[in-house]
Amino acid sequence: MAEIRIERVTKRFGATTAVRALTLEVRDREFVTLLGPSGCGKTTLLRLIAGFMSPDEGSIRVGTATLSTPGSVVPPEQRGMGMVFQNYAVWPHKTVYQNVAFGLEVRKVATSEIRARVARVLELVTLGGLEARYPAQRSGGQQQRVALARSLVVEPSILLLDEPLSNLDAKLRERMRWELKELQRRTGITFVYVTHDQSEAMALSDRIAVMHLGELMQIGAPREVYTHPANRTVADFMGLVNLIPARVVRADAVAVGGAHTLTLTLPPRVADGQPVQLAIRPENVRLVPIGRGAPAGGDGLPGKVSEVTFLGNLTDCYVTLDDGTRVRVQAEPGLALEIGQPVAVRFDADAASVFDV
Amino acid sequence: MRAEHVVLVVAAATLMILVVLPLASLIVGSVVDGGRPTLEHFREALRGRLYVQALWNSLVLGAWTAALSVVIGLPLAWAVSRTNVPGKRFLHFTAVISYLTPPFLTAIAFVNLFGPNAGLVNRFVRDVLSAPALTFNVFSMAGLVLVTVPHTFPFVYLLAASALESVDASMEESAQILGAGRWRTAAAVTLPLVAPAVLSGALVAFVNAIALFGSQAIVGLPGRVFTLPTRIYALFDYPPQYGLASALSLIFVAITVAALYLQRRYLARRSYVTVGGKGGRPQLVDLGRARFAVLAFGVAVFVIAVAAPYLTLLAVSVSKSWGLTFWQNLTLQHYRFVLLEYDVTRRAIVNSLMLAAGAATLAVVLGSLVGWVDLRTTAPGRKLLDYVSLIPLGLPGIVVAVALIQFWLALPIPIYGTLLIILLAYTARYVPLGVRSANAAFRQIDPSLEETARVTGAGWLRTFRSVTLPLARPGLFAGWLLVFVPALQELSASILLFSSGSITLAVAVYNLYETGALKPVAALAIVTMVIITAAIALATRLGRGGAGVSVAQ
Ligand SMILES: Nc1ncnc2c1ncn2[C@@H]1O[C@H](COP(=O)(O)OP(=O)(O)OP(=O)(O)O)[C@@H](O)[C@H]1O
Ligand SMILES: [Mg+2]
Repeated sequence: MAEIRIERVTKRFGATTAVRALTLEVRDREFVTLLGPSGCGKTTLLRLIAGFMSPDEGSIRVGTATLSTPGSVVPPEQRGMGMVFQNYAVWPHKTVYQNVAFGLEVRKVATSEIRARVARVLELVTLGGLEARYPAQRSGGQQQRVALARSLVVEPSILLLDEPLSNLDAKLRERMRWELKELQRRTGITFVYVTHDQSEAMALSDRIAVMHLGELMQIGAPREVYTHPANRTVADFMGLVNLIPARVVRADAVAVGGAHTLTLTLPPRVADGQPVQLAIRPENVRLVPIGRGAPAGGDGLPGKVSEVTFLGNLTDCYVTLDDGTRVRVQAEPGLALEIGQPVAVRFDADAASVFDV
Repeated sequence: MRAEHVVLVVAAATLMILVVLPLASLIVGSVVDGGRPTLEHFREALRGRLYVQALWNSLVLGAWTAALSVVIGLPLAWAVSRTNVPGKRFLHFTAVISYLTPPFLTAIAFVNLFGPNAGLVNRFVRDVLSAPALTFNVFSMAGLVLVTVPHTFPFVYLLAASALESVDASMEESAQILGAGRWRTAAAVTLPLVAPAVLSGALVAFVNAIALFGSQAIVGLPGRVFTLPTRIYALFDYPPQYGLASALSLIFVAITVAALYLQRRYLARRSYVTVGGKGGRPQLVDLGRARFAVLAFGVAVFVIAVAAPYLTLLAVSVSKSWGLTFWQNLTLQHYRFVLLEYDVTRRAIVNSLMLAAGAATLAVVLGSLVGWVDLRTTAPGRKLLDYVSLIPLGLPGIVVAVALIQFWLALPIPIYGTLLIILLAYTARYVPLGVRSANAAFRQIDPSLEETARVTGAGWLRTFRSVTLPLARPGLFAGWLLVFVPALQELSASILLFSSGSITLAVAVYNLYETGALKPVAALAIVTMVIITAAIALATRLGRGGAGVSVAQ
C-alpha cells in the first residue's frame, strides 16, 4: 500500500523554517498536489518524502514502514520511489534507452526483460523509436518524457514530481497535463506533485494541499479549496477574490454595507456585531443595472461602474459602491455597461466565505 | 581611411612581425639549407638517436605528469567541492600556490633534497637509516616527473572542481532515487559528466609539462635525460645548428597543437554539464572518519608541492654547509653575496621588471586592438586576425625563441642579444592572454553604450577613450596581471635570447645553478620569490585602485 503519512514534520535551514509541523496524509493511488507560492517549502517537503533530507522533527511513513525520523532516514535508493525533477535531469551522456534502462540495470533485471520493459514504457510516453538518440539535443517536452519514462519503468508505487511542466511552453504544458493525469489513472501510482500554478493544480489533482510559509493551510478537492478557501491566504492564492468588509448579524449571517444580508456558514468564535471580511470571487458577483426597468435597490448594494474591460468571453469591471468599496465583477459579455452607470451588486451566498479580520 | 581600418592594419602588422614572420622563417629554416630546399633536418630530427630519444622522453614526461596530475588533482577537486573534508580553503590554497610557484624553484629545491650524494633526504636515508637502497636520485625521469607535477596538477584540480560544481544535484539524485548507491552514482553519472573536463585538464598539464625548460634542464641534464627543449637548447652550443633546431621545434609544435586540439574538443563536450534549470548544489558527502585520511592526502600534497620547496630553499640559503646538521651553522653571507657582490642580480631584477611590465602592456594593447576589431567592426579579415593572435598558444617558449632568432638574424637589424628581442618574445608568447582578456572585457560592454556616445557627436577615438576604455579597464587590468606574473619568471624563451646585458631573473638563477653554487642559488631563488610576490601585491593594489575609480566614474 502506497499511502504516505507525514506527521508533524519540521525542517529548518539555519534561521528559516522551510517546513513547519506539517501533517499530511496522501492516500493510495491518489493524485495530491502541493501548491503554494515560491519559497513556501514545497520542494523541501518533496525532498523529505524522497529521503534526500532528514526531518528535524516528526516522521514520514509509507504503508507500515517508517522511512524518516530525525534520527534515522532510509536513503533514497532504498525507498523504491520515483522522482521527476523540474529540470528533467536526463543524463546527457546516455542515450534515451540507457537513461530509461538505468533503474532496471540497478535492480539487476535480465537484459531481455529490460529491453521489453523499456520499449513498453517508451511507447507509453510516445517516445518509441528514439531509443538511440541522445536526449540533451531533444526538445524540452521530449526530455520531460524521458524523465517520466525513466521513473515509470521501475514501476514505483509513489511518484514525486517537482514542477515538471514549468519549463515547457504554454501549449505543450497544456497537453502534458492531460497526459500526466491519464498516466496516473492508468498506472495507479500515487502522485505527489509540486506546482505553484493553481490552474495546473486544479486540472490535475484529486486533492490540493495549499502551503504557505512552510505550513499546510488547507487540503481538499480542487472545487472545495476554490470555493471554500479556509483563509484569506488560500482564497488569494487560488484566484481573484474580492475582500469586502462586513459585519456579523446572526450566528449564520453577515451584512454588507448595512443593506445586503447573506446567510452562510461563519467561522467559529465570531460574535454578533463583529467586523469580518467577506471573500467572493468576481464571477460570483451579480450585477443589476439600475433604472432600466429594473427594481432600484432591492437587497443589492448600489454603486457605479468605474472601469470596464470587454474580454470576449466575459466583461471584467470594477464597481465602486456608495461607501467607497471597490468590487471586481466578471459579468456576462452580453451586459452592456458604461462607466458611471449606476448598478446594484449582489453576492451569491453559496459561493462566499467569511474570514476573521 | 576609416579608423577601424587603421586599427586593423596596425594590429595585423604587429602580429606579422611578432608571430607570423618568425614562424614562417622557422618553417623555411627547417626545410632550407644553404639556400637549397632539403628534408635533411627533419630526417635527422626523426631518425637521429639523440633526437628520437628526446622526443620519447618528452612524451614519457608528459604522459606521466598528466596521469599523476589527474591522480592528485581529481581527488582534491572532489574532496573540496563534494565532501565535508576539513580545511577546504587550505586545500584550495595548496593548489593555487603550487601553480604560482616558478617550476625551476621547485626543481632546485628538490635537487637539494634528493641529489644523489648531497641531497638531504638521501643522506638521512643512507647515513641515519642505513638503507642506501631507499635513496632516490632526482636526476632521472622519475625526478623530472616529481618536480613537474606540482606545477601541473592544479590544471586538473581547477577544471575538475569547476566541472564538479556545475553538475546539477538532480543529475545524481535521479540515479539515487532509482536505487543506485553512492559509488554506483559516482561511476554511472558523476564521473562521465566530469570526464571531459578532467581529460582536458590532463592535456593542458601535458602541454605545460613538456614545455618547461627550467625543470628539464635543472634535473634532466645532470641525469642525461634529454627532452625536446633541452635538445633544442643544446643545438645552440657552438656551432649552432639552426636548421635542425627549427625542424625539432616544429615537431614540438605539432605535438603541442595536437594535444591542444584534443583538449578543445573535450572541453567543448563539457558544455553539456551546465544544463539549465534551478536544481540545487549537490549535498556534501559525509566522509565520516575517512575525511581525515583525505585531509592527510591534501597535507601530503602541500608538503611536497609547497612546504618542501620553500622551506628547503630557505634552509639552504642560510646554511654554511648543507647537511643533516645544517641549522648549527647559519649565515646570511649568501644573501650578501647575491644582493651586494653579484652584480648580475640587480641588472636581472631591473630587466625582468621592465620586460614583464612592457610585455604585459603590449600584449594587452595588442589584445585590445584585436578584440575591438573582432567585436565592434565588420572589417574583412577580422576573424583571421583573431586566429593568428592565438597561434602562440601552440608554441612552447623555447620555440618562440628559436623562431625569433631565425627571423631577426636574417635581417640587418641587430636586436639579437638586446632587451628588445626578449620583449618581442614575451609579447608574442603572451599575446593570446591579452586577446582573451580584452575580448572578455569588451564583450561585457553593451555596444549601445558606445553607440550612444557616437550619437551625441563623440568621434570614434573619443568614444573609445571616454566610454569603452574606462568600462573595460578592470578586465584589461586582469589581463595585464595575467601576463605580468608569468613574464616575470619566464625562462624557456629567455634562455636562448639573453646576453649579459639583458639577463633576466630566471636566467640569473639558472646560470648560477649551472656554476654549482647551490647555496647562493637558494638565496637568489628566495629573493626572486620575494620580488615576484611584492610585484604582484603592488600591481594588484594599484589595479584595484584604478578599477575602483573607473567604477566610481
Ligand atoms: N538547502 C537549503 N539551504 C538553505 N535554505 C534552503 C535550502 N533549501 C530550501 N531553503 C529555504 O527554504 C525555504 C523553502 O524552500 P523550497 O525550495 O522548499 O521552496 P519551494 O516552495 O519549492 O519554492 P519554489 O517554488 O521557488 O521552488 C526557502 O526559504 C528556501 O530559501
Ligand atoms: Mg521548489
